[in-house]
Amino acid sequence: MNLQLNHLNSKAAAITPMVVEALNQLVADGCIDAAQFATMQVQLDWVQYKTNFREVVQVSKLGRERDENPVLVMRVDTRQVTPENLRPEMLRALSVLDPAKCAEDRVPLEDFKSFRYSIGWEFNKRYWGNLSDWERMTGKGYQEALPGGKSDGNQEDAVLDSVVEFWSLLHDMEERKQLPAEILILEIGVGTGNRCGMFVDLFHKLDQQRGTSYYPRLRVLMGDYSLETLDMSRPAVKEHIHLCSFLALDALNPLKTLSFLRHKFLYIHSTNMYDNLPNEEIMRWNGDFYYVHTRAYVPKGEAVRIAEKYKTPVADLRATAEKLLTIGPDFAGDRGCGMSFWAELWKAIRLEEKYVAFEDSPDLMLPTGLDVPRLEDILANVPGDLRFHLSSGALESFVNTIPLLHPRGYLQVQDIFVQDLKDYRVGYYGPGKLDGSIVNWVDGALLKGVAERTGYDVHFRPYKYRENSKTSVLYTTPRE
Amino acid sequence: MVGSYAMPGWLERLKTDFFARRISHHDLDEIYDAAVKAAIKDQEIAGLDIVTDGEPRRDNIVDYFLERLSGVHIDRSSKKFYYDFYDSSVTSKLPTASLGLVRDFQFLRTFTDRATKFCITGPHCLTKRLRNQFYPGEEALAMDIARVMNLELKALAKAGAEIIQIDEPYYSGFPEDVKWGIQAVNTLVDGVQAKILLHVCYGNRYGKPSWEGSYRYLFPAVLDAKIQQLTLEFARRGGEDLDLFREFKPPFELGVGVIDVKNDEIETPDMVAQHIRRALEVVPAEKLAVMPDCGCFHLPRDVAFSKLKAMVEGTKTVRRELGK
Repeated sequence: MNLQLNHLNSKAAAITPMVVEALNQLVADGCIDAAQFATMQVQLDWVQYKTNFREVVQVSKLGRERDENPVLVMRVDTRQVTPENLRPEMLRALSVLDPAKCAEDRVPLEDFKSFRYSIGWEFNKRYWGNLSDWERMTGKGYQEALPGGKSDGNQEDAVLDSVVEFWSLLHDMEERKQLPAEILILEIGVGTGNRCGMFVDLFHKLDQQRGTSYYPRLRVLMGDYSLETLDMSRPAVKEHIHLCSFLALDALNPLKTLSFLRHKFLYIHSTNMYDNLPNEEIMRWNGDFYYVHTRAYVPKGEAVRIAEKYKTPVADLRATAEKLLTIGPDFAGDRGCGMSFWAELWKAIRLEEKYVAFEDSPDLMLPTGLDVPRLEDILANVPGDLRFHLSSGALESFVNTIPLLHPRGYLQVQDIFVQDLKDYRVGYYGPGKLDGSIVNWVDGALLKGVAERTGYDVHFRPYKYRENSKTSVLYTTPRE
Repeated sequence: MVGSYAMPGWLERLKTDFFARRISHHDLDEIYDAAVKAAIKDQEIAGLDIVTDGEPRRDNIVDYFLERLSGVHIDRSSKKFYYDFYDSSVTSKLPTASLGLVRDFQFLRTFTDRATKFCITGPHCLTKRLRNQFYPGEEALAMDIARVMNLELKALAKAGAEIIQIDEPYYSGFPEDVKWGIQAVNTLVDGVQAKILLHVCYGNRYGKPSWEGSYRYLFPAVLDAKIQQLTLEFARRGGEDLDLFREFKPPFELGVGVIDVKNDEIETPDMVAQHIRRALEVVPAEKLAVMPDCGCFHLPRDVAFSKLKAMVEGTKTVRRELGK
């Protein structure tokens, strides 16, 4: 048995002997075959998100389709586990390897697929489309749902530093007679609009202080896929509305909407956007790559409770969820009831996993900018088994954003990045839930590797403006 | 063609395999030969009048030459990916020695009956990528590179190279150098019995521009260049700078870029024809050549091929209109 501890803390340390002892007892009791135990992979994760998709214990089979004796992978959430629930949860997780037992244990909301295509992302998308309904229901703005209670995007000193940096670029370009007549900047994922509003405010003041006249030449494009979010962002930039355009934009492919502005933007920015784009995970085990396929489900007990409360048959829960996602919270005729159903269902959703070898995936589709040889190159310095985020949405967004950059322009992204692939061995980086949305750390190391082949070096600097902030700032420089 | 054809992904991987010592130099040379033949064939099928070898042998526009220049020190460990630039330096006067480019030209000549073009990266660009630890300045280094390479150009012409193109993509980033950059080109081509083209773009590293601006900085210095054609990018940037040809009436031909090589979207023959008609407003047909904006290195092969076909069809349309 191979035991891996992620994010060791005092509770996880205390749990470890219990886990080993419980496993030993399960072998002694004949619940785990001794041969299976010999190859078993056990991973202890500290899941930092209070609401998440994890059971206390999960067990999945790992191997190629033709393997008769796949390896068992057990994942234990050290935050949820207790001395009392450890053994029963282990037994439950092992039992659901039997499809019949699995069917009794849960109500699936979809079939197995790579997480990026999961219904979870439909819930996420619907959340941003009904943000005001969620805020009304929870009685707090979505930023208050963030771990720090506020967005790192709106810290004035951080925004001012960005403004000074941008002004310096413009000034240098002007001295070299390279400054275009129109100074284009793009905000992708506008949130409340506060960050963008603050940026333009501070830029205006600096422009006046330093006696330049760049401000009137600014063209600020604010892009978001949610029209509701775009509307909500307008008041934050009302002082500069004559410079602003609001665009419905797919964050995964800004180039699609803005191809006519290829090579024109001097500054492109986003905050906490990559961590909310569709993501999936890959495992390299014994040198082979596996997709982590997931299936969203509701544990049977919760499914029965929710179904009874909202007077719908348990068997119809999947169809009801689909109706909610298609129509929105009005699907039941009463928005309040629809919202309440949505919140309870979302809270109850878990993800089960299975591993699918790349060679068993004829429809294998890596994100733009990445192929298997490139992936192998990037992972070459991280030997051994590794499970990591592919951050497909972030990669796609990045690759489809940088062609918009002017040769002197740069991209700046504030987000939560895993900067070294080795870090995946010592921490849990999502997915987790924040209100009705999904949060994932972004695989910055992979992004850096992909960026190199697109002509940009990617750098990360720590976010120094709030103590203990997990945020870092990605910025690009052209690669020679 | 301006120079390079699409670099296939499989060839990129094989180049990297070579650096990782997984394949031999001999095997790589054979692979290059096959890639050149394929590039020639694609250009011929697309209908180009003048073809190049597609430049698959070149890792980038610089190292292919610096590796062959005697006296240049190359740090072989400085390259992570084949497309990266080597860290190169010059610590003493460059000796006069052949670069061995004639063999690559002869290979091209052997496999096509069409007119050929052979492309050389110019002294200004090479100087910008070379750490100078000997010459008193960049200009002196560029002049000496030009002196050494002049012999190579003469050898190429003697071997039958009828069109030689000098690539100077860094002018646009360093417009203050243009005057001596042109002098270096003149030294490079002095006495070379071939049609000389000068290609100046805004960079094409990783398929993106390195600079933006107007070609106005080239004038009037470029009028002193001993060249027969100046080739510039217009498809991506628009035709505004064409008016410089009306304003300065240069003695040489214009090579007009009508295909945007920094964008995978394939132009229609109509779009190409429009670009050519616009150029014909300032330059007569006998002084106009049609080509992509720059090398097709970064385009997927199918895209590059389709773009070349569109270019040929668009050109045919205008030729018909002109009764040619």
